[in-house]
Amino acid sequence: MVKVRIPTPLRTLTGGKSEVEAPASDIQALIESLNGQFPGLKDRVCDDKGEIRRFVNIYLNEEDIRFLKGKHTPVKDGDEVSIVPAIAGGCEQGA
Amino acid sequence: MIAHARELAPHECCGMLAGKDGRVTHHYKIKNVVATKEEGVKALFDEAKITTLEQMTSEERADIAFWMDTKDMFAAQKDMRANSVELLASYHSHPISPARPSPTDIKALALYPDICHIIISLQDPKAPAANAFRIANGTATPVPYHIL
Ligand SMILES: [Zn+2]
Repeated sequence: MVKVRIPTPLRTLTGGKSEVEAPASDIQALIESLNGQFPGLKDRVCDDKGEIRRFVNIYLNEEDIRFLKGKHTPVKDGDEVSIVPAIAGGCEQGA
Repeated sequence: MIAHARELAPHECCGMLAGKDGRVTHHYKIKNVVATKEEGVKALFDEAKITTLEQMTSEERADIAFWMDTKDMFAAQKDMRANSVELLASYHSHPISPARPSPTDIKALALYPDICHIIISLQDPKAPAANAFRIANGTATPVPYHIL
């Protein structure tokens, strides 16, 4: 089982849980498996082509998966995956 | 927070506040990495804003927008868990505009509808202002807060 840390904005989908577990061999399979348990979660993390949204960051243990193999990054029992949506914005100039 | 905003002016600063039961006990300063987030900026900001951003130098970009460094966010969240506190609010500064969310803020910060978003304005350098909002479904609602 892989431990997944759910960020505040996605906890409405996990019934308030901040940590959940799912079986998976890579990040993509993990997202599918989580979506089975918590329908709608995949839509929040991936775009309609199934790619991880640019403003969603996924960490495997201490590493950003963008610097590993992206959604094909392998995961194993005992790993910790964190989903971290970006916090961004701008001011009124040119907006 | 105001000190952090002043320290980084004219760039936008950003950070997170955490605590328990609505009372803030932890403050995390987060690096503004908007200048290095070309791809993300395109996904989140509207066309007009992107065109403006593309014509600017990375220094200038940080004056009108922010993007929290995810490495810093990740580290802050780890510290929150270690201290059993929760993320309660985000904050960022508007060096030269008012303390209210911009259209980009309303779009981008809606990713976090359950926390407060505090905006600090340095528009009047002698009287910095800060306001808190909840942002969801395209609207921002002011939230009252108390300084303890
Ligand atoms: Zn703003």
